[in-house]
This record gives sequence, structure tokens and C-alpha cells, in this order.
Amino acid sequence: MFTYSLQGLELTAEPTGVLEVEENETTARSAVYQVLGAFFASGDATSFEKSREGIWTKELTEAALLLPFALAGGEVLLAAGMSEGEYAAEFDHVFGGGRLLAGTGEAREAEVASVRRDYEYFGLAASEEAPHPPDHLATELDFLQYLCFKEAASSSPRLATSFRRAQRDFLSGHVLGRAAEVVAAARAAGAAQPFAGMAGLLGAFVADDHGYVAGLLGG
Amino acid sequence: MTWGTHCLNCLAGCPYRVFTRDGVVAFEEQGGTIDPVSGGVPDLNPLGCQKGSAWSVQLSSDDRVVHPLRRVGDRGGGRWEQISWDEALAEIADSILDAIEEDGPESVVFEESVEGGLLAQAPFLRLAALLGAVTLDAQGLVNDLPVGQHLTFGTFSCASTVDDTFLADVLLLWHANPAYTSIPYFHFISEARYRGARVVAIAPDYNASAVGSDLFVPVRPGTDAALALAVCKVLLDEDLWDRPFVCTQTDLPLLVRTDTGRYLRARDVERGGDEEVFHLWDEVTGLRAAPRGSLALGELRPVLSGRWSVELADGSTVEVTPVMDLVRANLEGYAPDDAAAVCGVPASTIERLARMVAGKRCKILEGFNGPKYFHGDLMERSMCLLLALTGNWGKPGTGIQGLALGGLDGYFLFSMKTKKGVEETARVLDGIDLAVQAMRERDPDATAEMIGIQLLSLATASGTTAPPVFFNYHHAGYRETWNRQEWSDPTMSRGFDDYLSDAVRRGWWGGVARPGASSPPRVFFSVGTNPLRRARGGRAKLLDNLWPKLDKIVVVDFRMSATALHADIVLPAAMQYERVNVQYPITHMLRLSFSDAATAPKGESRTEWDIFAALARTIAERAAARGMHEYVDARRQTRHVDRIGDDFVLGGDFTDEEDVLDEWVRDSADAGTLPVGSTIETLRRDGSIRFTGLGGFAPGLAVATDVRADEVMTAFRWHVEQNLPFPTLTRRAQFYIDHPWFLDAGEQLPVHKEPPKMGGDWPLALTSGHARWTIHSIGMGNRPLLGTHRGRPLVVLSESDAAARGVVDGDQVRVANDHGAFEAMARVTPRVRPGQIIVYNGFEPHMFLRWEGANEVEPGMVKWLHLVGKYGHLRYLPFGWQPVPADRAVFVDVARAAESPTVAPPGPARRDGR
Repeated sequence: MFTYSLQGLELTAEPTGVLEVEENETTARSAVYQVLGAFFASGDATSFEKSREGIWTKELTEAALLLPFALAGGEVLLAAGMSEGEYAAEFDHVFGGGRLLAGTGEAREAEVASVRRDYEYFGLAASEEAPHPPDHLATELDFLQYLCFKEAASSSPRLATSFRRAQRDFLSGHVLGRAAEVVAAARAAGAAQPFAGMAGLLGAFVADDHGYVAGLLGG
Repeated sequence: MTWGTHCLNCLAGCPYRVFTRDGVVAFEEQGGTIDPVSGGVPDLNPLGCQKGSAWSVQLSSDDRVVHPLRRVGDRGGGRWEQISWDEALAEIADSILDAIEEDGPESVVFEESVEGGLLAQAPFLRLAALLGAVTLDAQGLVNDLPVGQHLTFGTFSCASTVDDTFLADVLLLWHANPAYTSIPYFHFISEARYRGARVVAIAPDYNASAVGSDLFVPVRPGTDAALALAVCKVLLDEDLWDRPFVCTQTDLPLLVRTDTGRYLRARDVERGGDEEVFHLWDEVTGLRAAPRGSLALGELRPVLSGRWSVELADGSTVEVTPVMDLVRANLEGYAPDDAAAVCGVPASTIERLARMVAGKRCKILEGFNGPKYFHGDLMERSMCLLLALTGNWGKPGTGIQGLALGGLDGYFLFSMKTKKGVEETARVLDGIDLAVQAMRERDPDATAEMIGIQLLSLATASGTTAPPVFFNYHHAGYRETWNRQEWSDPTMSRGFDDYLSDAVRRGWWGGVARPGASSPPRVFFSVGTNPLRRARGGRAKLLDNLWPKLDKIVVVDFRMSATALHADIVLPAAMQYERVNVQYPITHMLRLSFSDAATAPKGESRTEWDIFAALARTIAERAAARGMHEYVDARRQTRHVDRIGDDFVLGGDFTDEEDVLDEWVRDSADAGTLPVGSTIETLRRDGSIRFTGLGGFAPGLAVATDVRADEVMTAFRWHVEQNLPFPTLTRRAQFYIDHPWFLDAGEQLPVHKEPPKMGGDWPLALTSGHARWTIHSIGMGNRPLLGTHRGRPLVVLSESDAAARGVVDGDQVRVANDHGAFEAMARVTPRVRPGQIIVYNGFEPHMFLRWEGANEVEPGMVKWLHLVGKYGHLRYLPFGWQPVPADRAVFVDVARAAESPTVAPPGPARRDGR
């Protein structure tokens, strides 16, 4: 059985409907978003530990078991000899202290307003306690995780389609561009592992997933 | 730069780029960014006109209201004090609560608006719904929708997109002056003409649109039915008509009993037969039931002429004849020579017109003018007959183009939602699906359009909207006027009182005949409306009759309108460019146009959402303070007044109008009416979005066609291409109305009737129309626009009528009849026909001497037949079928004011007001 796990978002009302569903292609996609969201949340000690122990790779592999398409990118290992401090420093170096993972510039305010509205329409709100802003990649991946789960859990075909459309639109409206920036940043920074690998995996996955969802919706 | 539009009753919704510098709007320019829809058809660009291009001037015009104001002294006395929002809202809330406690919530009355956009309208409709108040249906006040089209097609909204105009071979500008009223669209007429189309202007006056036409047909005011029927007669006499189209689409093959004049129904010929199954005479098999599920006749070959004997269920026999034979007989009275004597159009021109139209793709551009005649329905029914005989609807470049509404599903769904979000939307839509399923089980032949009508009807049954005829009759002083039979049609066999009480007694207006005589109005809201300028019947009627009954008159507006001048409290509203809004969606445009907040609201002005949310909160607080928690309204619904503030914003989900609009757009996208993924940000980026569907509710579905991304939208293709039936009693385009009242009036078929002598037996017919320089009175504070013309009210009259009265151009003249009088400057011109005078719409009463405007001579008569209900498609729907006040062809005379004995100095005529 599968359920969602929100990090940077919270429900605006008591949950309705089923809270667990049989694992399937859609929950697999949700699970991959869950892992990716957690990875891009920070370069802290926990993340370091999971990298050192190969847990990220394990979680991704397990999550992707029922994926309707192959998860591009292989094992993502920690660079040899990288310490916890170096890990955190590399995260900051590659992702600009996390700044590259969220919006910047003049359009930022509108972007934040836009994703907030998306969250609210689908019954969520950016958590006040979240360490990241609403337009942070980790929060956005969190949202996609939730949308996939809700699609899987929905008993109404209409609602399932709404959640599916929302995935496609949120990917194309927000995440595809952000992921491409992350891939480019990692490449430009000559990022060490696991960041180079995870960035590449992220870019490939969201592109594949967008194509998959768009295909289901007929274009 | 932000996108802006103006949310006016021209309904164009032209996207403008609004440029702001240092927080101040500097200027606006036409957007010109609409993508072409269909190859070979011109695009909509650039859209816009001088009115839109001068909008920003009004942000700081002299008539702007920027603080809450409370009257000091008598109403209309012109003295005000500035008060705080808290004071204003508390005073209004107390008045509402007093009224509810003493006379019930129906004593709180809101006028529905046709100006200001959806976000100006939705908030007060929401408050009215939460209170259980009454909202007066705008259609019953302004009469923009073509009643005759409803009688024929079961719907008002038959309009294709404006680019369909380009595809016509013949364009009849009939009751329309698009060079004034549809400036953004006029290029399609010119482009169609360049392509080879013939343009015919049919109007009493040689108007601005006639200048560019191929043929000008000058018709005497109010006699258009005679002209149309004469054209129909030529079409039949010269065998220029489209028999297959007539047989498939119309009721002309259906059989009528010659003894009663009623359709032959299934219940006539078989025991237990259906009341709404009709018959035709097949050339092979004789009497056959006409299919109800489809317009297609299959093997049936209806005979369109003859008389047959039919055995009835009781064994007796009756003679029947097809409607077509009755039409032919009716048209015998409209030979071109005879009609020419009535309508003033030469017989040769009538014949030429018929031959021009026959076999061609012909479109009638009607505008909003026709329905405003007392017998406008007959004119429109006659025009529709012309189109039927020539096979002219449901095909590109055809049909009749009056006002059409549209659908934004998210707007409709919003009122049914109890919380924000997609899951709630799905819950509501799933509920609607269940209702639709039940409707389909009851009537498997019902089309999506019919289901949409039923859904709207269901919503109406529990809603607050009511046709204003009952309010006006009981409370606004119209009863006496409507009973003046010398101003009404001579074929009325009874007094108006009798008809109205009969209609109510028969339950034709069950549930919406309110407020009744025993529910006195106490609090009156005008939000972006301007009844003292607009009301047919005149400002005096309302000031003398309605105003004294009201404890509180509240006007929400951005400008000091005539109504605001006579209010108790005026609340300043933010204008477009200062707030977020969308134009009313209409099928002419098939686009949702957005207006952004380019700058902050001026002074203390606020958006309507903000105002009514605050008022709802204040009502709740002050109700709780007086220990008032709930009450039961006239529909026996319990209203929890102490939580109305929370209910208004759905517990805090919708604290501002951006939240609301985003929800509407997302829900509309989810329902398939807007492109998937649309949000307020999409609108903010693009300014305007083309609809992808008609939605699930009646106003949009009435166009009865598919919306395709790469095609001009032509109305009624479902009827012509798929043979889907019409939502009428007979399920066909219905020219024969066999209701007893119509039979009694001799209006079972379209006929010509002389305009009744509204206002008395005077020699000149007063007509009107939207002006070139303003939409209603909105532009009357816009100095650059006023500078494009004489900038003051004008009485436009012919040279001969002027000469006969010693009037020269520029004279002050007095226009008077038995109902009232007003004065204005004469504009003498050869383009107006003798016997006609024109006063263009929009001038505020206070622009006239003594503050008496043109509506003082309009009695505001309503046609008694429009009280008919529970007859197939003749039943009330919001913004639909209902009695509407006429204001065209009002009879008056004109004299130089200097010769008038009643000339008085400028200033308001005093009225009694509390």
C-alpha cells in the first residue's frame, strides 16, 4: 500500500477519501517525486547519510519498480572520500545555497502567487514551518507527489482526470523549466556526485513523466 | 504594462494594453494580439474603439466618487457628508436587519447589473442569495434580448461569433447601427462587402451604417414586420423558398385544428396521448406523429398544403391543415403594394430585397434595438420566418445576430460550492451529472441544450432572481400606466390587471412572482446600474412611487450617476484598471477578456467583492449584537445571518477577487469551457482567452454548435447538421404559437401590428439607440469623448418636421406627450425621416433642463402576451423569457422651448423623498 508524505506542504482541511492505495504505475510516479523532493530539500546530515549508505538509490529503485517508463540514470553514489561538510558545501555550491532551487528575479512574486494558487486549488497550502519557500523545487516536487497520489486515490474519473491534468500543467508551467535550470547549474558547476547524477535523473524523469502524462491525456 | 478591458454593456471586451508610470495610468492602446481563428477569415484585431481608448481619462474625471458619502437633507438635494466605511456599512447593515425583522428579507431588493463585469456583479448577487433577498432580473429592466427569437427558437442566444459576418453573401443591418454600436466588429462588414457580399441597411433613418451599404431600405418606425412578411410573400409567390429546410427545421409542416386553432396533439387523437406530441400529414401514409427526438423526418414526406379530416379519440372528426397553409394565408395580407403602404418601403424594393436574399447565405445583424419595440417580438418572428424560408441558419454566414449570452461554467459552479478547490468542483459536477442523468431518464430525447435549460430552471427555483414586472407593478407605480389601454395594443381583450392576475393565478410565474403586493421594499441597492437614467417610465415614476417607500437607497458606483444623486448612501467603487475583473462572456466574441489592477483604487474606493464581503461581515456582527441569529425567508429556507460574513467568503477561502476569479477560471478549465490549465495567471499573461466549449449551462449552450479551435463559430449547426431539435414546445423552430392568449390576440403567427400609441396620439415617433460616444451613461463624465460631439443631449429630427414647427438647428426644444416632457437641443438633419425623432441613449437626467431626461416621455409599457408561462419554451428563466418594457416608437410632439409655457430654470425638479 502507498500513501503520500508531505514535507513543505500541508492540507488545508481534514483529508477526505482513501488515505492509502494499492501500489500501481501512478503511485510509483508519486513515490519517485517523493524521493526527489526529499533529496533536493537540503544537503544536510541526513541527506549525506542517505547518500553514503546508498539509500537514495535504494529508495528510487524501489519507488520506480512499477513506473510505466524506465527511470533514466543509474546508481547515484557519493563521491569518493566526500565528508559531511564537503557534501553540504557542494550542495550550496551547485545550487547557490538553495537559491537556484527557487525562483529569482522580478517574476518571483508572481511565481510564488501562482504556485500558491495551484496548491490551494488542490487543497494544500505552503507550510508556515517549511524551510523552503513555496516555489522551491522540493516543494513543487512534493506537490507533484500529492497530485499523483490523489489521482491514484480518486474514485471519480472526473477528479482523477483533473489531478492528472494538473500534473501535466504544473510540470510544464513550473517544474520542467526549473529542472532544466538545475541540470544546467550542476553541469556548469561541475557538480560532484551525487548531485550531478541526481540532477540528471531529475531532468530526465520530469521530462519523461510529462510526456507520459500528456500522452495519457491525449496530447 | 498590464492588460485591461472595460466590462461595458457593448459586451466587446476588447483587450487593451494599459501603461502605467509612477503608479498612474498614462494611456492605453489596443492590444491587437488575437490569433486568427480560421484561414481566409479576417481576425478580430485590433478590437477597441474611442470609448475604450479614452477610459483612463475617467479614472480622474470630475464625476468620480472616491469616498463613502451620506446624504444631508432631502434626497436629491445635492448635499453630502463624507463618512467612514465603517459608518456607512454599519448604517446599511442596520437598515437591512431592520427590514428583515419587520418585513422579511424580500424587502431588500437588488437591481441586477449589466455593467461592470462579472466581478462587479457576483458579489452582490452572492449577498442577495445569502440574505434571501430579491434580485431584479436585468433583462426585465433593460430589454436587450430578442424576445421574438425566443418565441421562435426557444432561446435568445442565437449569435455566431462576429467573424461569421465575413462569410455572409447578404448582410441585413436591421434594427442595428453597428457603425455606432459595434465599432470593433464593423470591419467584418466592410471586409465581407469587399469579398462581394451585399450590405443592406434597413432602418427608419439614414444612419451611419447605411452610408456604407449597397442598399438602404427606409422603413417607417415599428413596421418592420410588414416589410419582412412582404419579403416572405415574394419568396413564396416566386417559389424562391427552401422547401427541404422548412420541412426539416420548422413547425410549418405541423398540423393545426381548424376548429380551435390549436395544434393537433397526440392526446387529441388517442386516449392518454401526449400533450406535446404533434403531427404532420405524410404524402404516402397520411397522419403521422412528428418525431420529437430529431428534426430529421426520415421516410416522412410532409404535405405543406391541404385540409384533411382526422378522427379524434372521442370518435368525432376535426379538420386539420398544416401551419404552412396558415402562413400562406396570413401572407396574403402582405402583398408588396399593400405592405409598402404600411412600411413606407416601395414595393419594387421589397421585391428586390427578396430576390437578393433568396438562395444566398444571409445574415441579419439585429443588435439590441428590435426587442425594445412593443411589438418587437412580431418583427423578429417575421425576420426569422424570412430566414427560415431561405434556409438561413446553422450554416456559415447565416442566422440572426442579436444579443447573446455566454457561459463561464466556473461562475455558475461558484455559487454551488461550499469550499475552495478541485475536489469540491468535482463534487458539484458529479451532483449535476446525477441531475442530468435523471433528466435524461425522464426525457431520453432531451438535448444538451434542453438539459442546460432545465438545470438553469432548477437553479432559478431556489434562487433570488425575479422578473421585475411584479416589483414594478406593485411597488414602482407602473400598474396605473400599464392599465392605460389607449397606450397599449387595441387587440387586448381585457385590462392589464386582469391578464396579470390571471397569469399569477394560473401559476405561470410560480415562485418568481415576487416581491408580492404585501412585501414592501425597504432597502434598495443599485450596483453599477442607474435606474433613474434608464427606467422606462421615467425618473419621476420611481421618485414619486418607489423612493418614498424606501428606508435606504444604496448606490455602489465609481461615478455620481443620476441614481447616486438621489441615494442615501453612495459607496465608491474601484474602476477597471484599478481592480481585477473579466468581461461578461458572450458568444459574439467567444473570448474571456481580463482587466488587471494597473493602479491602486482612487481615494477610498474599493472593489465590489471587498465592499460586499465587508458588508456581510458587518451584517453578521450587528445581527449578533441585536441577538438575531437566523430567520426563515419567503421560500422557507433558514438563513443564518450571524454567520453570513463567513459564508460570504466560504470560511476565508475567498478573501479577495483574485481568489474568486482564479477559482472561476480553473473550474471553467476543469469543466472544459476554457483551455485546460487556464488560471488567472494565464489571463494576466495573455489578456484574453478563447473559449474551448460552451459549458454545461443554458446561456452558452443556446448557440447549439461545437466550438472548434480553428473554425469560426456558427450558431445552430447542431440543428442543421445533426438535426438536433430546438428547445421549443414543438421542438422545431416554431412560428405558430397556439397559446390561447396568442390566438386571442391574433399573434399565433407573425403579423404586423401598428406600434401602440404609447404616450398618446402624437405625430412623431421617438426612437433611440446607443450613441457612438458612450455606453449608456458611463462616458458622460469623459470630457474628451464629450468633446467629439455637441456634448449635450440632442433631439435629432428631420428638416421637414423642424420646419413645420419653426425649429432650427441648435434651438432648445420641448418634447412632450401625455406621459411627460423634457427639453434638449434640436439637431436638424436630412438623415432622419419625417415623423421620427431620435434621442440617443445615455444622457444623464441632470444633463437636461430640470433634470428631466428622455425617459420621462416613455410610459414603459409591457406587452401582456409576455406574461404567458408554462407553455413549452415560454417559461421564466433568468435573463430570459419575461415581460419587458418597450421604449421605441413612443409618440410625442416637439415644439420650440421658448414657446413652451413650462420652461423653468435648470435644477432638479423637486420630488417627495424621505
